[in-house]
Amino acid sequence: MPNPPADDPNTFFVETNFQKMARRAGGIPREQALENARVALETIKLGFRDWLDAEISELAAQVRKGRSGQPIGVAWAEAALIHCRQIRDVGATMGFQLVTFIAGNLCEMLDGVVAGATPRNEMIDCHIDALYLAKQEQYRHLSPEQLPELSGGLRRVLEVAHTGTGATGIK
Amino acid sequence: MTTATINIKGLVFLVADANPYFSRIIVGLLRSFGATAVTDVRNSFDAIQMLNSQKIDILLCDDKLPPHGGLQVTHAIRRKRDNENRTIPILIMSGETRESLVKIARDAGANMVLAKPVSATSLYDRLAWIAFTPRQFVDTSSYYGPDRRFKNEPYSGIGRRKTDKPADAVGTAATAPMQPAQGDNPVPTSPTPMGPS
Repeated sequence: MPNPPADDPNTFFVETNFQKMARRAGGIPREQALENARVALETIKLGFRDWLDAEISELAAQVRKGRSGQPIGVAWAEAALIHCRQIRDVGATMGFQLVTFIAGNLCEMLDGVVAGATPRNEMIDCHIDALYLAKQEQYRHLSPEQLPELSGGLRRVLEVAHTGTGATGIK
Repeated sequence: MTTATINIKGLVFLVADANPYFSRIIVGLLRSFGATAVTDVRNSFDAIQMLNSQKIDILLCDDKLPPHGGLQVTHAIRRKRDNENRTIPILIMSGETRESLVKIARDAGANMVLAKPVSATSLYDRLAWIAFTPRQFVDTSSYYGPDRRFKNEPYSGIGRRKTDKPADAVGTAATAPMQPAQGDNPVPTSPTPMGPS
């Protein structure tokens, strides 16, 4: 027996200005637009290393603050998470796939800490060390799949963090 | 996903993301595609202020936009009856593409979730998809936004509409993929069109 129909919602078509205008003739052809984008990204990349250095340093500084007990609670993890997300969200677009992978892993760990999990110093340190490694010239072009030992190891670390086993860390 | 050419010259883009470097990338990509009017803001107060005070053609908003979050911004714009930007396309940009996030974004009234990190290809193709794929809007007491259904297939489940074709077999839902599909992003997640309700 079919369910009775719900009250029909008021549905209507909206042709937005975006749709009307974007469908006009005369746009930059897709292939040209993507080539323009490639050139633009090359220019944006020029300042990326300095930005990345500063973000990793800030991330590490927030973690150190957490260990010093100031600020109390998880404010340090929330602050660290902001920097970690920024690194994750930009890395791969700038050609640093491994950096995005490691930062993504660390984001999951920090998310857990913000949600109440016990932080594990050695696991967080291991990710920050990996970020310092991954930003180096010889690693920056590599994908996680090209470094299975490193990426597999970090995945296992994350699993351990999720399962709640391992050493205790910051209180 | 369409790969047609889009003409975004003169359209007003609002990019809302707290990360200045990420914003710089998005603004750079949009300009490469032909955009001439791109504004970026760093927080939800400025985003809402912009959306309340001037005509915007499309919003690209981080789901974590401080302090309220991009989904609250989406909800606020969709809910405001007298806002001229009420029906604009909204792309939620997120480093997380869990199904739950996609569903929450959809229910807030977003058109799409765009996975971070963003690639030029993924951004261009999502803009083209929005431009060339007409979608109905839905106005109910609990939801205002793009129709969360993509197809009108036979359906007899809870929430069936009068216009739904009856299903021969109970429980045949009108569904479209909800899970993030593998795409062309530099990481193994990709932007996902909102699935149906």
